[in-house]
Amino acid sequence: MKDLTTDVLVVGAGPAGSMTAKWAAKSGARVLMIEKRQEIGSPVRCGEGMSKDWLKEVGIKPGKWVNVEVEGARIYSPSEKVLEINERNAGNEVGYVVERDGFDKALAIDAANAGVEIRLKTAATQVLREGGRVVGVRAKQFGEPFEIRAPVTIGADGFESQVGRWAGLPTNLTLKDMDSCLQYRMTDVDCDVRYCDFYLGSVAPGGYVWIFPKDTGLANVGIGVQLSKIQGMAEARKYLDAWIAKHPAYSKGKTIDVVGGGVSIAPPIRQAAADGIMLVGDAARMIDPLTGGGIANGCIAGKICGEVAAEAALAKTPTKEFFQKYEKGWRGRLEEKLYRNWLAKEKLCSLSDETFDKVVDALEGVKLEKLSVHNILKAVHTKYPEITREFESFL
Amino acid sequence: MPALSGKKSLHIESSGQLCIYCGACVGVCPLNCIYLDETRITFDERICTRCEICVKACPVGAIEIG
Repeated sequence: MKDLTTDVLVVGAGPAGSMTAKWAAKSGARVLMIEKRQEIGSPVRCGEGMSKDWLKEVGIKPGKWVNVEVEGARIYSPSEKVLEINERNAGNEVGYVVERDGFDKALAIDAANAGVEIRLKTAATQVLREGGRVVGVRAKQFGEPFEIRAPVTIGADGFESQVGRWAGLPTNLTLKDMDSCLQYRMTDVDCDVRYCDFYLGSVAPGGYVWIFPKDTGLANVGIGVQLSKIQGMAEARKYLDAWIAKHPAYSKGKTIDVVGGGVSIAPPIRQAAADGIMLVGDAARMIDPLTGGGIANGCIAGKICGEVAAEAALAKTPTKEFFQKYEKGWRGRLEEKLYRNWLAKEKLCSLSDETFDKVVDALEGVKLEKLSVHNILKAVHTKYPEITREFESFL
Repeated sequence: MPALSGKKSLHIESSGQLCIYCGACVGVCPLNCIYLDETRITFDERICTRCEICVKACPVGAIEIG
């Protein structure tokens, strides 16, 4: 295979990669995006629920990948008291349940239309270095080794990111920083297509059970459990199966897909860029530590990353110092929220089932103007300031 | 793969009976010695310290340490 050169090399064609690639190309750079899989977006590793108020900011138009537009959320305490937040009446935008493989492909098509070259079945096997600077990757396409040289390399290679580790960036996770997740797509279930449901407490230690409806009778039923709170093997599956067995609306359903994966629930990383390289999306641990959602943050940071990558490549200044523009950009937009939600997650993980019941009970009569983590935490703060004390300055 | 002396054996069932190739073990391995190649997972026996984080991370119980 012939060696290649480009201005910006993006490793990984998920949402963050495609978004970065697209904006780098729109900013005038030659961009190559490589993906180790044979199909962009597949297999899906995602609960497929996402908010929608950020889409315009990064230039994404809703497409055929929308399954359901939800009106709100229901949060269930351990004894199944429910906090119902319906926003349709208030005229607010809430969120979608999406077909994630279609979403990823739509973003890749956007990138391609902006001029990005895409190669599938192409895995990075190591970063290339010159004088301490990353100058591209060694790769294999259909098993054939070759080199790709680029002044700017982007690691958008997801939760199991290799690029960041090879480049020596601090992406390591502790047991506290990760949830093990499993999800069944189930048919013949009694779900409500108006709501995304969340079940908190000891049903999912350090995480939650989610029900994201994809259609009438069809839903993603999933769980995340925190590694520091579980003991043996297959805990995610055991907790999920136990939860389903106790809920007749789901126990009679039939599973048509099994999805697993790791989700980082870490505080923001200290450094997302070094000479010649930037990380974006799950690879940069940008997942919201409270909700486990990563698409919005990955896309928002991806736009900033792409613009900075093009600028650096064209000005021939792909240095760690220049990439401070990216660090400042994504941190300014996301870091405070990531940190606040990490603190909130740490606190919520420590609550007993009894406390969860009390909190959800107390919130029942509270009117929330807008469905957001921030608003829910503010409501908790008014009723139970002792729970939010450690992060009240962020509320 | 034979266990080195003094180390427990680690087995990743990646023939598809249990493993769903989700990469949770790969992302959490502190020594980056587990490799996912679409439908094959391998680990480097020499580097692995049997810290067992991957055992917990695997949502379906495909990794066993004995």
